[in-house]
Amino acid sequence: MKWLQDQPAWIRWPIYALLGILLLTIVQSISDTERLTATPTSREMLRWAVPIFLAGLGGLFSERAGVVNIGLEGMLILGMWFGAWGSIEYGPWIGLAIGMAGGALGGFLHAIATVTFGVDHIISGVAINILAPAITRYLSDELWDSPTTSPSTESVGDWDVPVLAGGSLFGWESPDVLLTIANWEWWFLSDVAALTRGLLRGTHWVAIIAILLVPATSWLLWRTRFGLRLRISGENPSAGAAQGINIIRYKYVAVIISGALAGLGGAFISTELSGLFQGGNSAGRGFIGLAALIFGNWRPGGVLLGALLFGYVFGLDLKDLDGTASHALLLVNTIVLIGVAAWAITRKRKADAILATILGALAFIWWVAAEAVPNWWSNILPYVLVLLVLVFFAQRLRMPAALGQPFRKGDS
Amino acid sequence: MSAAIELTGITKRFPGVIANDNVNLTVEKGEIHAICGENGAGKSTLMKILYGMQPADEGTMKVNGEEVVFGSPTDAIDRGIGMVHQHFMLADQLTVLENIILGAEPTSAGGAIKFKEAEAHLAEVADDYGLTIDPDDMVESLEVGERQRVEIIKVLYRGAEILILDEPTAVLVPQEVEALFDNMRELKEGGATIIFIDHKLDEVLEISDSITVLRHGKTVASMPNDGVTAHDLAELMVGSELPTPDTTESTVTDHVALAISELTVADEDGRAVIENINLSIRKGEILGIAGVEGNGQGDLVDAIIGTTDILGGSISLLGDDITRLSVRKRREAGIGYVPEDRHHEGLMLDAPLWENAALGHQTQAPYGSRWLLNRKGARAQTTTIKEEFDVRTPNIDVSAHALSGGNQQKLIIGRELTSNPSLLIAAHPTRGIDVGAQAAVWEQIRAARADGLATLLISADLDELIGLSDTIVVMLRGKLVARLAPEDVTPRDLGAYMTGAAHQDDSEAA
Repeated sequence: MKWLQDQPAWIRWPIYALLGILLLTIVQSISDTERLTATPTSREMLRWAVPIFLAGLGGLFSERAGVVNIGLEGMLILGMWFGAWGSIEYGPWIGLAIGMAGGALGGFLHAIATVTFGVDHIISGVAINILAPAITRYLSDELWDSPTTSPSTESVGDWDVPVLAGGSLFGWESPDVLLTIANWEWWFLSDVAALTRGLLRGTHWVAIIAILLVPATSWLLWRTRFGLRLRISGENPSAGAAQGINIIRYKYVAVIISGALAGLGGAFISTELSGLFQGGNSAGRGFIGLAALIFGNWRPGGVLLGALLFGYVFGLDLKDLDGTASHALLLVNTIVLIGVAAWAITRKRKADAILATILGALAFIWWVAAEAVPNWWSNILPYVLVLLVLVFFAQRLRMPAALGQPFRKGDS
Repeated sequence: MSAAIELTGITKRFPGVIANDNVNLTVEKGEIHAICGENGAGKSTLMKILYGMQPADEGTMKVNGEEVVFGSPTDAIDRGIGMVHQHFMLADQLTVLENIILGAEPTSAGGAIKFKEAEAHLAEVADDYGLTIDPDDMVESLEVGERQRVEIIKVLYRGAEILILDEPTAVLVPQEVEALFDNMRELKEGGATIIFIDHKLDEVLEISDSITVLRHGKTVASMPNDGVTAHDLAELMVGSELPTPDTTESTVTDHVALAISELTVADEDGRAVIENINLSIRKGEILGIAGVEGNGQGDLVDAIIGTTDILGGSISLLGDDITRLSVRKRREAGIGYVPEDRHHEGLMLDAPLWENAALGHQTQAPYGSRWLLNRKGARAQTTTIKEEFDVRTPNIDVSAHALSGGNQQKLIIGRELTSNPSLLIAAHPTRGIDVGAQAAVWEQIRAARADGLATLLISADLDELIGLSDTIVVMLRGKLVARLAPEDVTPRDLGAYMTGAAHQDDSEAA
């Protein structure tokens, strides 16, 4: 464990991922499901994770600048509508840009309310969440004569990675190496290949852009002047103002970027996933993005991890009509909770260890007693995970110090 | 060679107050110049003017011989003046380097920070002035003294050669003060000029080359630190006005109301802010606590009222141990509390007066019972307070912020005294209220004392302390350092004890 922690991130994370897949493989071997490590599962995971991640990353920008953004859901919905409209009117790529602009508009509204007028961040965010579906409903009715659906939209498309997942390269049909390995049905190795293939075949361009946003955001926030000043706005704005930094401007920019990213997530849902705008299709992914932000400790890589984890739970549930795969997940929960309990014991945190053991035991009893889990369980699982993270790791979570506090010019 | 700083005839007026009245100050290059004076003597205002945070109404400023007018701190920084504020302006979750370069980041064309270049410049500055700091540490992991060093380096990084340190020792423990003084000597060695504000006289005498004393906004003395004693300084700071002790008959009984033994309280960082205090107040006695703010008085009050955890010791009220009781139980046991900050702790400003009157007593008759408020009883009681304590208000349904400060304070005093406490904690009970209300508050406290109330009085107004108290104790750095009888003490003596210029043997103080 010590050795692993000393490794650079590009070695560490793949190993963590392999350990995770190993856990899934073990559980799968003693359950009556094959979906835990199937290619469609990881494909669905990514499809679900992208909008969650984009919303969460939007939340990261806003909250790093000190503005709580519970309005992400609303901004995502605005992105859904504007993305669809833009795609119908001007084509898919411009559609995505217009979707971002729509979300940014929601962000701008949130910034005016919270930064300029000092409105409580939660109230303003909730207002945007109420406003956005109403506006899009009205606009749909005006433009498309249907309050809930648009005509079908055009997608920017996807990409199969050559060699690994059988994509074509300059007209040459490359072999599908991962499919071959997956078909060998070797224990673990084929599972890894199947899950990886889901990420590399039929990969949306937007998903690739989203993944690239992780290093881009890290660089922007931690290596540039803009990033430093944005972060001081959320940590100690008075200290920034005392050095002549225009805190108000940075907060505005951050919240607008926040809206634009959530808007991109929304546009992805309507133009890439659904192929049309449909009211209600956001399915609360803005809120789950916020959960991913907290889960990820306000860091880009953490947000991505959270989004993938939640995406996995949803993606697994999607084609799991009899509930057996989600049922197997209970056993995964049990093992993870026992691991948390062991970790808490090494840290001499008795209460945490006891709680984790009890929860782990409950999950185990449920797994033994039931054949399948009800549908609502996977819907609430992301929130349950966030609660567990807050319970056990709250001391390690570091939210921006001045998050949610109003800032006025001349405060210092 | 011209002086680093030359202020002539600086005057600054605020509505109703003259903060600086024709102040002159000359600071030579390369010296450490102390500015001392009591709270409210105008030290901070003068420094804010010098740093460009406020304009002076009259007077001229010269920096290195050139006359200057500062519109903002940026102008002062351009002239090589930097200020280290008493309250640090640092972000905990940023690194030392990030905190230092903030606002003055060296960047490439694309906006990327040149961290290497910044680090090199930082190393250069730190080296020139003999200060050490690890640029990659997170600020949250630093001790208070190290944070202060970051603030000082932050100022030097911007090229300041004249440093203003606003009460730099107020937040430090003795060992850290020593380290700071070593740093200040290094800075001087490196060619910096330092102006520092302090009212701890032993420290002033130890470190400074010259001393300027302010009193009531005027310069009363400016001299080299050469043969000056702490006693001289205390006299200059406090002046020689004699108090008018109030000669009322003693009502002190033999009955102990509050007994504190071996009380120790630590702050969040685990440092003792109150060390091993023994204290008792008898029925009918007013015990006054004198001390420069921040020497543990506030922590003592918090410990008695129960809003802070204590590290050791016990507190008993009328013989019953209350050390482990909740705030609510303590209030019900008979502790009345007039908090220092009436807007934050004393009142709900947007609530009507009758709700404010019930505040803190809401579980007791006539305001209510354990679960329910008794509107009728509370309103009747509020009306009684309004009449008995002369709270000037049209009715008891107006919200508390509609009242003047004096009337708010009368409401709080009335609320606490009508609940018949056995102990009253009064923290700065007349701060910021007009003379008429002040006299009324004094009168009410005296009347309650005559009825056998034990009172713990904390005040920065030394005349008030001497006039009201039966006994005065002095707190310095979390300890009781002197116990005095108000009949034979002057504000000047008190000032000397408060600043550590005078000492009493442990046996006398205990």
